[in-house]
Amino acid sequence: MSTGKHRIAIDVGGTFTDLVVSNSDGSARTLKLLSTPDDYSRAIGDGLSRLFADGTTDPKAVVSLVHAFTVATNALLTGRGARVALITTRGFRDVLEIARLRMPQLYNMDWDKPRPLVPRRLRFEIEERMDADGRIVQPLDPASVIAAVEKMRGQGVDSVAVCLLHSYMNAAHERAVMELLRQHAPELSISTSHQVLPEIREYERTSTTVVNAFVKPVVDRYLASVEAGVKRLGVEAPLMVMQSSGGIITADTARAFPAYCVESGPAAGAIGAAALGEMLGEANIIAFDMGGTTAKACLIEGGEPRLTDEMEVGAGINIGQRLLGGGGYLVRSPTIDLAEIGAGGGSLAWIDKGGALRVGPDSAGADPGPACYGRGGTRPTVTDANVVLGFLNPLHLLDGDMPIDKRCAEDAIRVHVAEPLNLSVQEAAYGIHSIANGAMTRAIQAVSSEIGRSPREFAMVAFGGNGAVHGATLAAAAGISEIIIPPASGVFSALGLLFARIQHRLVAVFWHDVDKVDCEALNGRARQLLQDASEMMSAEGVPTANTELHLVLEMRYAGQSSELGIPIASPMVTRPILDEATEQFHQEHERTYGYCSRTERVQIVNLRLRARSMDRQDHLPAPEALRTKKAHGASAAERPVYFGDRGWVTTPVIRRTALTEQPRQGPLIVEEYDTTIIVPPGASARAVSGTVRIRLDQAE
Amino acid sequence: MKPDPIRLELMKNAFAAIADEMAATVVRTARSSVIKEAMDFSTGLLDPAGNLVAQGLCLPVHMGSFPPTLATVLKKFDGQIHPGDVFALNDPYLGSGLHLPDIFVFKPIFYDGKLLAFAAAIGHQTDIGGRVAGGNACDNTEIFQEGLRIPPLKVIDQGKPVDAFFDILKLNVRVPETVIGDVQATIAACTRGERALIALAKKHGSDAIVTDMANLMDYSEALTRAEFSAFPDGAWEFEDFLDDDGFSADPIRIFTRIIKEGSDITVDFTGTSPQVKGSINLPIAMTQSSVYACLRSVIDPGLPTNSGFMRPIHVIAESGSIVHPISPAPVAARGLTSMRVTEAVWGALAQMLPNKVFACGAQGDFGVTIAGYRADARPFVLLEFLFGTWGGRPDKDAIDALSSLAVNYSNTPVEIVEREQPIRIEQYAMRQDSCGAGEFRGGLGLVREYQLTGVEEAVLQVRSDRQKFQPFGLKGGHPGANAANRLRETDGKQIALPGKFMRTFKRGERYRAQLAGGGGWGDAFARAPDMVWEDVLDEKISRMSAARDYGVMIGDDGVLDVAGTERLRSARRAAE
Repeated sequence: MSTGKHRIAIDVGGTFTDLVVSNSDGSARTLKLLSTPDDYSRAIGDGLSRLFADGTTDPKAVVSLVHAFTVATNALLTGRGARVALITTRGFRDVLEIARLRMPQLYNMDWDKPRPLVPRRLRFEIEERMDADGRIVQPLDPASVIAAVEKMRGQGVDSVAVCLLHSYMNAAHERAVMELLRQHAPELSISTSHQVLPEIREYERTSTTVVNAFVKPVVDRYLASVEAGVKRLGVEAPLMVMQSSGGIITADTARAFPAYCVESGPAAGAIGAAALGEMLGEANIIAFDMGGTTAKACLIEGGEPRLTDEMEVGAGINIGQRLLGGGGYLVRSPTIDLAEIGAGGGSLAWIDKGGALRVGPDSAGADPGPACYGRGGTRPTVTDANVVLGFLNPLHLLDGDMPIDKRCAEDAIRVHVAEPLNLSVQEAAYGIHSIANGAMTRAIQAVSSEIGRSPREFAMVAFGGNGAVHGATLAAAAGISEIIIPPASGVFSALGLLFARIQHRLVAVFWHDVDKVDCEALNGRARQLLQDASEMMSAEGVPTANTELHLVLEMRYAGQSSELGIPIASPMVTRPILDEATEQFHQEHERTYGYCSRTERVQIVNLRLRARSMDRQDHLPAPEALRTKKAHGASAAERPVYFGDRGWVTTPVIRRTALTEQPRQGPLIVEEYDTTIIVPPGASARAVSGTVRIRLDQAE
Repeated sequence: MKPDPIRLELMKNAFAAIADEMAATVVRTARSSVIKEAMDFSTGLLDPAGNLVAQGLCLPVHMGSFPPTLATVLKKFDGQIHPGDVFALNDPYLGSGLHLPDIFVFKPIFYDGKLLAFAAAIGHQTDIGGRVAGGNACDNTEIFQEGLRIPPLKVIDQGKPVDAFFDILKLNVRVPETVIGDVQATIAACTRGERALIALAKKHGSDAIVTDMANLMDYSEALTRAEFSAFPDGAWEFEDFLDDDGFSADPIRIFTRIIKEGSDITVDFTGTSPQVKGSINLPIAMTQSSVYACLRSVIDPGLPTNSGFMRPIHVIAESGSIVHPISPAPVAARGLTSMRVTEAVWGALAQMLPNKVFACGAQGDFGVTIAGYRADARPFVLLEFLFGTWGGRPDKDAIDALSSLAVNYSNTPVEIVEREQPIRIEQYAMRQDSCGAGEFRGGLGLVREYQLTGVEEAVLQVRSDRQKFQPFGLKGGHPGANAANRLRETDGKQIALPGKFMRTFKRGERYRAQLAGGGGWGDAFARAPDMVWEDVLDEKISRMSAARDYGVMIGDDGVLDVAGTERLRSARRAAE
């Protein structure tokens, strides 16, 4: 049976490997396997073999293969990457270890700094120096580079990072070092800072380059193994890889710049939410993904997920951490801005010494899991609270695949929360549920109100195993009135990969006060960027005619250290266009920070360019096609649910297929295989193009 | 009535989120490196009576200074506080307790016509006028030399900026664009705080919010008392010294006696030296803040920081002493004394809690100012506070290169300094062998070397310490290496400079700031030889230090000599 051409997405996480196949006849399939951490490519091969085995998916008819992976992140988290040496300017070998001198948590005497990825003995200083304008102060001494190479020998080094001061202004010395390395140690993998991150700030640039060097051989081997496996199965389509920024690149580019892919997996969910929004005509979305141990929020504005300039791998989950930093391995590259918080279904509830009820960040994990799973867990979790409150099926989940023991949930809450706080079990359970909501609200605020966006102007797309249980309540707290529950919630991130487009982001330093800008110089710089982008896109197989360009001036008040991006139409800037951009900058500053200052000097710092393929997925999998298997565990037609102030309310329970375009009033529970949707009293739900849309009455 | 434990947790997070949101606003909108890169500022939310409800993720030793400062505003403007007002001040003797460069701003938050709270921020300004750029000179002898003194003033009157304030400020500072921009950043943060708290009040009602604030402070107090109660009762003493005040060569004694009784802790500084001629006098509010930071670090880091936490803590400091100076004593460089106070308090706490507290770090607050005029007559001011490293801990090594826990200050990127200033930084690195040896060694001190490149001459002003008194070790651990100041003149001649000095800095001269190292913890001869070897391989310590300080032999081939090590170590055992 032919299903036409196939597009396949593969999302490899720490626990599960998800595959989604979208066929040109509109049909689709999903597959969920356990990941194989000893060799992540194995689960991919197994999954694809299973898809190809029954003949509905033909390897020769696969036209696109998009992949999100966690190998780079894992290498960083476990410390199992390359043996890296660093070459840097005389006087600065400790920049990597000194870092920014700050720790992410105040007052913690027991804190430990992340171990530098390059030990001091492998950080080598060479003779050379540029000044801040890129002028050579001291010429490069090749002998000092060769001496460093000699010292590396016998140390097991397989990857070298090169980061010289001010190389973002003049890369001549870094290029010369690269040449010397190629001559004298051709076996070494090389990462240079002017290629990985041509931006000011030596620690940030060094760290990003070192991360790249650290994961490069690992990612290289991994992607080679995936590509070989895929080829063996007869697939000819090139392997594409998701970057942290949400764009895809060829596996070859990813192998050279793996630092751009450390947040590959989480980016996919945000891209999926943005694409779903586009299908449904919603350009402004807060994507909310709640799983077992964490919840993540992301802002999508005008159809584009918001990006952040940098992130830290292994920094732990803490919103405040975003401000102080220092807790992990810093990577500065465009990354979809996710606020993550340690509240998921498995998060444990506990009472602190001051008698306050707390939830997370410790989690019961998959083993033993929540008490209600009956696998030996005795401490109460958010899922236990949801079972006690009737939000989750008190008998079984996953359509009967997973039995639930409500008594265990009640016991855990009684012993650990209700009795010590002198509350009833339901009050205690509702407390756990509410505190988890409070923490997740914090994540939503971090991506909206904290940057001057009112959540009221956004719809929420809620996914992940627990997204639809909490989504409506969270939306109510944040003032959001429209919630969209996508199909295939549990594999939604994999689905998101199908919507990603080939993309490159480029940056050029252009440091000038706006009123002193020479427009021709600016245009020249911009044209150079456009040409570079065009070459890079051609290398990915995207012709210039098919490339969409987005050029941005990064502007700020003189002396500030963070910029706001103001788009310009083309590299044909004139004085009036610059004046208009400056006015837009003032307005954006007012919107984001609550004030602007029209009398102050405004600077341009960088030109940024996003080049993106105009090719989109030409067909979307029909959401109906993504329905997972049929129910076999019978559900009650109604059950009591505890809605806080309203007390226990008898609530109808229906299957997702029973929901139509005709709105149904809450309270209502909609169940499907891996998702439970809570429609609170006062809200209504209806089915729209395969999604469930919940509308809240947000009385002002 | 016992507050609802669920609501308490929710509101705790909500208030903390507001204070952090304010902090993020300061970072994103500030102009100076000292605020945006090093993060020398704080944000807070206070109740109408002036109690601290929440503090942003910023500078710990600012913590105790919001309440007394707001108190002076409340007193002066009683009955004249309206929506849209903003108040500012900086004078340590009229309330602030910090020093003149730290400008405080407060914005009252009204809802339903009722005063709900104050949003507050402190920003360390790059310059505040006075005789030396940067506002940190050690050789001032009275506060009048230290810059513009701002009494509690209304600087925005019901939404309308008071031009007189901004005009006077602009005229008195060397880098007005930067200073005005930074003051605006702190005001913007307060406006953000106001917006966010009003949104919260809309949802919960203003009365409920006021009650929540009170409950949250009671909760912090209860948590703090529970922790203190678990500590042993008793009294512990410790003394440490500052080298000098920059005028006389006399050491300055910081003496502290900690008395723990039930759930209260008293920290008594009686016996500490009198106030000094030079500007390292520490105003009482910052003495208290320094104590708070130390005690905060020996209890649960997750506890909400607010006035409730401060209630069980009592500070005794004699008026007229260096930790409670009387006007017009100069205070500009009081940061050095604040660090020494924290070190003395930790020293005493280490006796009370020997398995918890670290040895003395090289806390720093090593201030470097290089200022002058460019060829086109534009002024420049480089203002940097250098911090170093921690002391060895009871169960593990110090962290090399980390700011004092009491300030959590960051550094300024070398490339940013070189882009913005006519200065080149020649080195920023760790100093080999500067760590105090111990079973768990102290951290390595840092070195930063400056060369003047873009102008003919500038003023170089440094305030530093620890040239005579090293950071102490604990339980037999060695002290960390001394700090030093070195200057290489254009003819190549090296000279040593004292801890506190001001001089002309000529093009081509190199000034080298060497920070002290951290003290070690425990007997260095008990340190695992492998760990010593690793440090030698990393060139953090020399082979000579390995043999002398740790009794560990590393052969010429760089390999650990097990037999040689055993010989060295047993020889010392025999000698004991």
